[in-house]
Amino acid sequence: MVVGFEGNTSDAAASIAYWEGFPVSTISDHGEQCCRIAREWFIGTDFSQLGTGDLRSGPRWLRKKFKWGPSRWPLYWCEAGKEKTLDCGALAALSHQLLLGRGVSSYPAQLILKFNDVSASHWKATWREAGSSSAWIHDGMIYHEGCAVEEESGGIKIWDATATWWINPKQFHGYAGLLALRLYAPSPTTFTWGEERFAANTWHTLKLHRCTSALPRARREEELPVPTAAGNALENTMMINEHGSY
Amino acid sequence: MKIYIGGLYSGTSPQPGIGLSRSLRTAYPGAYLIGVEYSNRSSGIHWPGFDDIWLQRPWEELDLSTYARSITALLDDGALWIPGTDLEALWLASVFPSGHPSLLSPPHVALNRTSKPEVAAHVGLPVDIPPYISTDEPDWDLHAFCRKHNWRVWLKGPYYEAYRVQSWDSLERVRAGLSRLWHTQRLFIQSHVSGYEESVMLCAYNGELLDAVSMRKRELTEEGKTWAGDVTPLTDDFAAPLREIIRALNWTGGAELEMVRDSQGKRWLLEWNPRFPAWMHGATLAGFNLPALLVESATGIPAEITKVTSEEFTRVVLEIPLRDGYPLPPLPEPYSGSFGHSLKHPSGMPTLAGRLHTLDQEMNQRQSPSLGRPSQKGTSANGRGNLVPTSFLNDLSTQDLNNLDTPSFVFLESTAALLFEKASAFAAAVTTSEQQILNAYSIKTNPDARLLKLALKAGFLAEAISLLEVQKAIEIGWRPENIILNGPGKWWPQGLLPDASLHAIFCDSMADLTRVTTAAEDGRLHAKVFGVRLRLPTSSRFGISIEGPDGLHALVDSIAKFPKDSLFGVHFHMASSSVGVGQWWHLYESMLRWSSSLERLSGRRIDVLDIGGGWFPDDWDSVREPEFMEALKRAKPFLPNVSEVISEPGKAMAQPSMALAMRVLEVQKMTDAPTEAVVDGSIAELPMYFFYPHRILHHNSQTGDLKPIRRGTTRLMGRLCMEHDEVASGVELPEGTRAGDMLIFCDAGGYDRSMSYLFGRG
Repeated sequence: MVVGFEGNTSDAAASIAYWEGFPVSTISDHGEQCCRIAREWFIGTDFSQLGTGDLRSGPRWLRKKFKWGPSRWPLYWCEAGKEKTLDCGALAALSHQLLLGRGVSSYPAQLILKFNDVSASHWKATWREAGSSSAWIHDGMIYHEGCAVEEESGGIKIWDATATWWINPKQFHGYAGLLALRLYAPSPTTFTWGEERFAANTWHTLKLHRCTSALPRARREEELPVPTAAGNALENTMMINEHGSY
Repeated sequence: MKIYIGGLYSGTSPQPGIGLSRSLRTAYPGAYLIGVEYSNRSSGIHWPGFDDIWLQRPWEELDLSTYARSITALLDDGALWIPGTDLEALWLASVFPSGHPSLLSPPHVALNRTSKPEVAAHVGLPVDIPPYISTDEPDWDLHAFCRKHNWRVWLKGPYYEAYRVQSWDSLERVRAGLSRLWHTQRLFIQSHVSGYEESVMLCAYNGELLDAVSMRKRELTEEGKTWAGDVTPLTDDFAAPLREIIRALNWTGGAELEMVRDSQGKRWLLEWNPRFPAWMHGATLAGFNLPALLVESATGIPAEITKVTSEEFTRVVLEIPLRDGYPLPPLPEPYSGSFGHSLKHPSGMPTLAGRLHTLDQEMNQRQSPSLGRPSQKGTSANGRGNLVPTSFLNDLSTQDLNNLDTPSFVFLESTAALLFEKASAFAAAVTTSEQQILNAYSIKTNPDARLLKLALKAGFLAEAISLLEVQKAIEIGWRPENIILNGPGKWWPQGLLPDASLHAIFCDSMADLTRVTTAAEDGRLHAKVFGVRLRLPTSSRFGISIEGPDGLHALVDSIAKFPKDSLFGVHFHMASSSVGVGQWWHLYESMLRWSSSLERLSGRRIDVLDIGGGWFPDDWDSVREPEFMEALKRAKPFLPNVSEVISEPGKAMAQPSMALAMRVLEVQKMTDAPTEAVVDGSIAELPMYFFYPHRILHHNSQTGDLKPIRRGTTRLMGRLCMEHDEVASGVELPEGTRAGDMLIFCDAGGYDRSMSYLFGRG
């Protein structure tokens, strides 16, 4: 069922143009023992923390260890372990590496989300105070990162390493709505995410649904044993006004 | 149109009555909706969407026959009735076994097929049932089930309520409480499934599926109840088999199938509730007005079209004025010292459960026919848990039990000997030219000289955690070169360390590592193997911490300090009996990965692997051959250079080797409470009572017969004047048991024996 549908091209197009050249975050390596040890520690800890959970579950423990906030870039493996705060790029890049360490197919994901002005200006101030760039915030939109995990079915699910949840492939217009995404893959491939299908390494604009509407649902007549009456249905909000006393 | 709607409770675990009134009002604005409740404490009676309230006395007071006649009259008069609770639906099914055209609730036979945990009707749906076991099974099997499922299990009541239990004593406590509350011993334990919760809601009339929707919980209360969700049409892969099942069940009414979707996308069915869920109006907001469809089918009166307003919904908390004529009742006075006033079950639902058992003996089967027989998917084999191994009985038969002073431990010599022989034979069988497998006996599990001699004879190494234990091993006959020293306090007490080389020394902390490497460098300490015990993140208090990259860095650097002419090893011990078998295997692989990292980063080859600890005897028995081979196989790619594997089964060797005999001092039969018996044993001799069940035998002093004791309602209380001195609860003493009879607690040869203490003996 689609409850209203709204195109998403204009908002997304401007943001995609703005962040087109943004590279996906990666963790750098000194090529020395310091980074070798840190990397082994991250991957070993991830496996220990997994418990009897599934290999394709999200590495939630990262957010227990690290607060979300500005990161220094470039970020080396040996530095990451010492940080108290990491940004979404660092958390996503680490998650991607941990999933690869488990033997799971993972792809870095760039995301464009829409928030409100209050959130955007608050984040700008926070990042400015920390002396970090706020280029990830632009015109009410934010640039975000996660990683996509290939499922056994062949589809993908997308891990938001900052929020520690799997992003809903069905997106709604409004606060925190995902407008567009770009997944990186070493070779050309097509991803299936819910009902979305899109190519790797290029921005994909998502269909956005409206979460409220006032349309009658098309009824599946063949399933109904009795005919349906047409009539002036009351919306539920009206019902409350009519029958409620508050 | 007059519709009676049940289930008006509207707390944090709400019933569907209010949602039903809202959805039906949308479709039938002119309908006369009457809310049915059994307590004026249920806040839903004040919901303004009801035209009237039919407030009955609580279930504990209601005369069910009279009430049934009243409902029959209403239904015969054409009023519809939609129940709002499982128990109300169960009771109505007993009143109308074949249904009633105006009763929008499933018939008796359909409830039979959908009762939890088996939910027999689920076959054909793309779901599975999480493994479960009935608490009718012997405690020994229940404990095995919990270990197998890593103590991630729920103890569930027959209708409502589920509690996470993570240890044997919490299971015992919750079981006693739930049994009391729901008037039944028939509970079940079900394995936990991690994942996202979702439901399917359906409505059907006379076996025709009218519609069904999926709902994913998007916010949950602390009790796991829906707070927000999204609603979508049911996919064909689910709807098609569901339609057939509903037809076969001749279902009428609403229903909710509660599921968990795991990280691989597999759905696990937890319950099939025989009524609409409380969130049903959320589906109405998405345009799926299932109660309206049901009423439409039952009456032929067309419903008004329900508009789609949102496919996602959330709950809010509202204050509303009271319904005229229904003032708030006073709160009962709290018991002295208790906290708060519970609003749980204000209508006396548990009492209804008890009355249904009495009213209809069949109800016991109906509530869950699957609970009367062993689980298909659990670990139970019929009655196996009651069977005490033959070797125990043979060993006990050699004792003069009638003249045995009690309480006292009885050594089961041939049982113990067999355990060591089997372990020894196994180690020899799996040893290859490339890799030697050695057994080690953990002295602390039971330092009894008879067991130590058996271990020595069977070629075991001795594993000591103190220098006193080293001395004991030497006294028994071990040479130092066959002794392993391990643990955080291994150098205590000073001055007892033999001069000769030990077999292995494992360091338990960085400070310990510095001490050991310094002593080795100075020539004061010698061992064939030096190594470390790793403390895996979140798993243990023992071993060298690798909590952060700096900890790992320090360990990698320190490994270079171990003597170059010794072997290097890693020690991994974890009590599988407390973390669960599956979790033990995960930690084992985790340890292998860390060890592999250590080898790679330090450049120091790992030659020796010491694994084991805390195996429950049955688990060790089942693991020993195929899974130990699997353990070796799994280790190979991570640690290809390991030439010696030390297997240390811990209490698995000691626990079966002794039993504790005690005598009944007094039996007190009470008419309105469980029988209580006092014994001359106590938790001072059985300190592991809180951690696992013991198989108990009753010794008939006349015939000499030894009979296993089954589950029952008797409490066995120890001799100590301590409130918590209860050595068994919920057992059934044989008819005629009297003072002087002997009870033999098996499985007491491990920490029961080694940690027993003198108490109350003057």
